[in-house]
Amino acid sequence: MSVLNVTVANVEQITDVVKRFTFVQENGEALPKFSGGSHVVVSMNINGRTHRNPYSLMSSPANTESYQIAVRRQDNSRGGSVFMHEQVKPGTKLTITYPVNLFAINRLGKKHILVAGGIGITPFMSQIADLNRLGADYELHYAYRSAEHAAFRQELEALCGDRVHFYVEDDGSRIDFGDLLSHQPLGTHAYVCGPEPMVKLMLLTAKHLGWPSNHVHSEQFSAPPIGDEFTVILTESEKEIVVPGDMSMLEAMEEAGVDAPFLCRGGACGRCELEVVETDGALLHHDHYLSDAEKTAGNKILPCVSRAKCTRLVVNL
Amino acid sequence: MERGYRIRSKPLYDPLIWEEHATDHVVIAYAEGGIGVLKLFQQMTPKEPIKVLFADDEHAQRSYHDIISKLVDEGLQILDDKEGVLSAVSATLDECVMGTQFYIAGNEDFIWAASQILKSAGVDDKNIMKEQCGSLARPVYCVHCKTIDPEVHHNVYTCPGCGRHLFVRDHFSRRLGAYMGLMVDAEEPGNIPDVEEIYP
Repeated sequence: MSVLNVTVANVEQITDVVKRFTFVQENGEALPKFSGGSHVVVSMNINGRTHRNPYSLMSSPANTESYQIAVRRQDNSRGGSVFMHEQVKPGTKLTITYPVNLFAINRLGKKHILVAGGIGITPFMSQIADLNRLGADYELHYAYRSAEHAAFRQELEALCGDRVHFYVEDDGSRIDFGDLLSHQPLGTHAYVCGPEPMVKLMLLTAKHLGWPSNHVHSEQFSAPPIGDEFTVILTESEKEIVVPGDMSMLEAMEEAGVDAPFLCRGGACGRCELEVVETDGALLHHDHYLSDAEKTAGNKILPCVSRAKCTRLVVNL
Repeated sequence: MERGYRIRSKPLYDPLIWEEHATDHVVIAYAEGGIGVLKLFQQMTPKEPIKVLFADDEHAQRSYHDIISKLVDEGLQILDDKEGVLSAVSATLDECVMGTQFYIAGNEDFIWAASQILKSAGVDDKNIMKEQCGSLARPVYCVHCKTIDPEVHHNVYTCPGCGRHLFVRDHFSRRLGAYMGLMVDAEEPGNIPDVEEIYP
């Protein structure tokens, strides 16, 4: 997969736990164009092991001089965000993938309802640049924990004017999805990015209010959870690979030199899907891509975030 | 006809069934589409508000508005003709919100004429329930002079716009709401295959 070599031009502390990083291309050239809602996968070398995390681009698509991402520090995870916060400084060199968009604005929409929870605000910041340019009708509803977690609030006020609405959880202010989704004009599309309970609540509310599923869009990137060690057996490349508890199946395969397909690495796009031939245990699905029926059937797995509780898992690769 | 092969753009239609999760229902029907409305009202009627917009074909022998008036006790508008139904659809859209389920019953020309009005309001035709009723006549677009004949019954017909003999294909344009009609004797003028009624 072709990659972009970038240099970190700027690092800003936005809140206690959020930093914004500005990347420019190492060779000084402009970066590839992208559309609002796109993400890139950032590679990090942590203790000799390659971590790859997806982050939404939050800068304006009109600007190809630099890309910006925001990273929320997650202390109880595998260390990608902590590495970004502690090790990445202006001048650090990183490799990122070309931008990919799994969360695009529907251009045929008459109106757009954007709903963000916490760091889920980032993809909307590049989408809003597009929506403003198109002169589209939209509303942004942004919920966060407390005043000190109000990342980018002033920028959003400047970008969106009275189209943005803030909800501060500690003040008891919550988004009322039933109210929000029950009086939108025909042709409205709704988009949500944030913590899983929020995403699920909005999807469920929209469904019960008769919104067709192709008018409701969501994006969630999961980090691969930590689990138990197991062995994956690749039938075509005839390899046996041990997946340690703190590594994803995809990372373990890459470490073993297998050229496995991937795109988002967050369980959203389905590009890395593998056929499960057999296992002596249970699959632990953590993706947002497979349907519930597919997950239950147990013959497919997304190795970027999902793993297995077993001794051996045989996949067709 | 080649077996195991289909034209993906050819629309398929299903009988109308009330959508369980809608907040409002709008039923749009014309002429033989009245049968689709009557079948719909034989199902358990939903609790949410219902609007029915219907007109008989004044030239047809069979009329349905009397029976529909007896069965539909709220939100019924009987219009004079097809154009009347279509303008009633336009007039209704401003009040509609997301969550409204639309149902269309009639021949293919009517289904797509109504769909296009809904599309202009941002309603994707995938989310509209459509039942083809009565005739299988096809709306056909002449690719040479752009005239649409709303009801074509034969495999080959004469374009009312340019007089060419057109072969009716299965390729369907959702944007135009019509099948593609292509000159059948372009290479050998006058060599026209047998004309058969296949869309009665």
